[in-house]
Amino acid sequence: CSLSKNKFTNNAYTLERPIKTTMLDALNKVTACYRHLVIALGSTSDSQNLREELKKTRKKAQELAVANRTKLTSLLKDKNISKDDRAEYERLWVLFTSSVELLEVDMKRSLEIGQDFPLKVPTRHLIQTGMTGSTTTVAARAMSVQNMKYEADANIDTVDLKELETEIAQVDQMMEEMEMKVQVAPWAVEAKQEAGAELKSTVSVGNSSVGVISICEEEPKETVEGETGLMKVFAGVIFTAVLLIAGILGYLVINL
Amino acid sequence: MSTIINLNQSTLGGMERMIISMQDPDMGIKLRNQRLLITVIPHAMTGLDIVEWLIKKCSISDEEALHVGQLFVKYGYIYPLKEPRNLILKADDSSYRLQTPYYWMSTRWPASELDYAIYLAKKNIRKQGELIEYEKECYNALHKRINHTWDFVVMQAREQLRASKQRRKGDRIVLECQEQAYWLVNRPPPGTQDSIDHGPERRTTNTRVQLVTNGLSLKYLLKRTLTITICDGLTCLCVCARSYVKYCEQYQPHDPIMQGCLPSNPWITDDIMFWNMNSETVALPTKLRVERWSFSFMELLNDQMGRKEFLTYLEKEFSGTHTQINESIHNPYKQYCFLAPGASRWVNIDSKTMEKTLEGLKRPHRFVLDDAQMHIYFLMKKDSYPRYLKSELYKNLLARAIVPQETKKSVFPFMRRQRHSSPSPALATQTAEDDGKAKYSNSNSGTASRL
Repeated sequence: CSLSKNKFTNNAYTLERPIKTTMLDALNKVTACYRHLVIALGSTSDSQNLREELKKTRKKAQELAVANRTKLTSLLKDKNISKDDRAEYERLWVLFTSSVELLEVDMKRSLEIGQDFPLKVPTRHLIQTGMTGSTTTVAARAMSVQNMKYEADANIDTVDLKELETEIAQVDQMMEEMEMKVQVAPWAVEAKQEAGAELKSTVSVGNSSVGVISICEEEPKETVEGETGLMKVFAGVIFTAVLLIAGILGYLVINL
Repeated sequence: MSTIINLNQSTLGGMERMIISMQDPDMGIKLRNQRLLITVIPHAMTGLDIVEWLIKKCSISDEEALHVGQLFVKYGYIYPLKEPRNLILKADDSSYRLQTPYYWMSTRWPASELDYAIYLAKKNIRKQGELIEYEKECYNALHKRINHTWDFVVMQAREQLRASKQRRKGDRIVLECQEQAYWLVNRPPPGTQDSIDHGPERRTTNTRVQLVTNGLSLKYLLKRTLTITICDGLTCLCVCARSYVKYCEQYQPHDPIMQGCLPSNPWITDDIMFWNMNSETVALPTKLRVERWSFSFMELLNDQMGRKEFLTYLEKEFSGTHTQINESIHNPYKQYCFLAPGASRWVNIDSKTMEKTLEGLKRPHRFVLDDAQMHIYFLMKKDSYPRYLKSELYKNLLARAIVPQETKKSVFPFMRRQRHSSPSPALATQTAEDDGKAKYSNSNSGTASRL
């Protein structure tokens, strides 16, 4: 990672290309999944597993948030950037802060609901909302893994709440610091997306263009859907190759 | 049933507790399955079951149970499945489902604009751009209002949809229904009742005056809104300030402290000529006093002399009707004589007020003549009073009014009236007591002597 850091610092001053925002996209993805999981809290899809999923997703979200914050703060503090670059970084900053705000609200709500619906007591108080499936796949998507492993204790629902409280306080503090240290006027930022942009292609919105400086991060694994897609293409290629070879052999046999 | 209730924490707790007991597997309502085309979703209840359970649990009447059930639906704890936009409880076999705790009404987490924008964006994607009219308007309004985070809205909407694709079909349907129900409660469509009392923050875009924007950017819109608000505020201040200044200017010559009073301030010089000259029964009023009558109608009426003058004027103009009426402003029951049809004197009020008053007189109460009184008062104020001010009578009086001379301070100090404080009240009472005692002792001695 240090290598790419150097690459970044070297290029930052010389090249004025937009930034690839995979880390920001990852944070966005994890925030969306976290919200999805919190919606299931207190209902009949609530379980020990869900609490563990919540905990893991939350921790991942916080890691991403801290990483994003460090990178973006360093970018914004740099005085030698062009006006366009600065505008772009400010736009990313607004994306980042909105994500963290959503995350914070969801964390607070999950604390409240978690306290109201403990799992230890006989669970007849869990609301029967009609959702019966598990949320494993969602959590797996958030954590960027194939399958979730569950290894928590039985009393995770009470223990986790205390941790959650401290984490909420940490996030609050981080947001305050962010507001103090980084002078970005959110209302001055203009979005790149028009109204109705979501109806168009599903390319990640964070990217402004291709072939760029990448923010140092762990490369997320391809999604399950993506993998199967590749596999399909690969299989197709092999199949056509086999067909071709069979055809050529047949031709040779006939001719020879 | 259609009252808007202000939610507070204790009400919430009660409703939530009730919901929890409602869906208790043993003691709660029997839950059925909802059959859609191929999917079966459990945990649905019929309206009739809900009402019956409420009757049994709370020992209340039919009507009351229906009303309580309505509250649950109105505040989003239960949502209807067949007609989601119609947030009422029907006591028949229409199905309802319970809302997940995340979407329960909570005053701590009011629905935010960002969330609503994300929801609309998601709906836009799902419906391929076919949003309902008012949703389209809200969407566009939000796009302008929170334009700076619109990229985030789009990103998050896409991610949330991708996350929900990971669930089974049945769960996905439930998720959509839940979210829709939540937003129908928190952002009701125009024309439906808004159950939540948001207090002074009004957040419906539909009721706001629409600014003609036509593609203005957010910055300009913001600036414009700010200037309008400031201008309005300033205008208000200006108007207030202006009227205040006008009032001060008008009354300044009449203020003894600011302008001094003629002939002299009685409190300073012990000369009560000022009060004598301004008493109610003086022959000629002072000029200032007469001028004051022209400030407003109330000034004229409050001054005894002014009132008398006005009455004289009215007597001259109209043969006596209005004079009596003017008196009756202060004594409303006199009006009764004139309003009765066939009265010796007619009263000049319009037919509507006449009808209303006559109606009221059939069942008389304290305020039955108020309308007529009001009408007459305004008639005087708008009509007779300005004419009086322009009349010869008033102008003559103004010309004849005296401007008292300021008492000349004599050159020699010892010639000036010395200021002396009046005797202390304590002394006065003591002397009275002494007198009383003396009288008493006299009488006593008198009687004693007789004995």
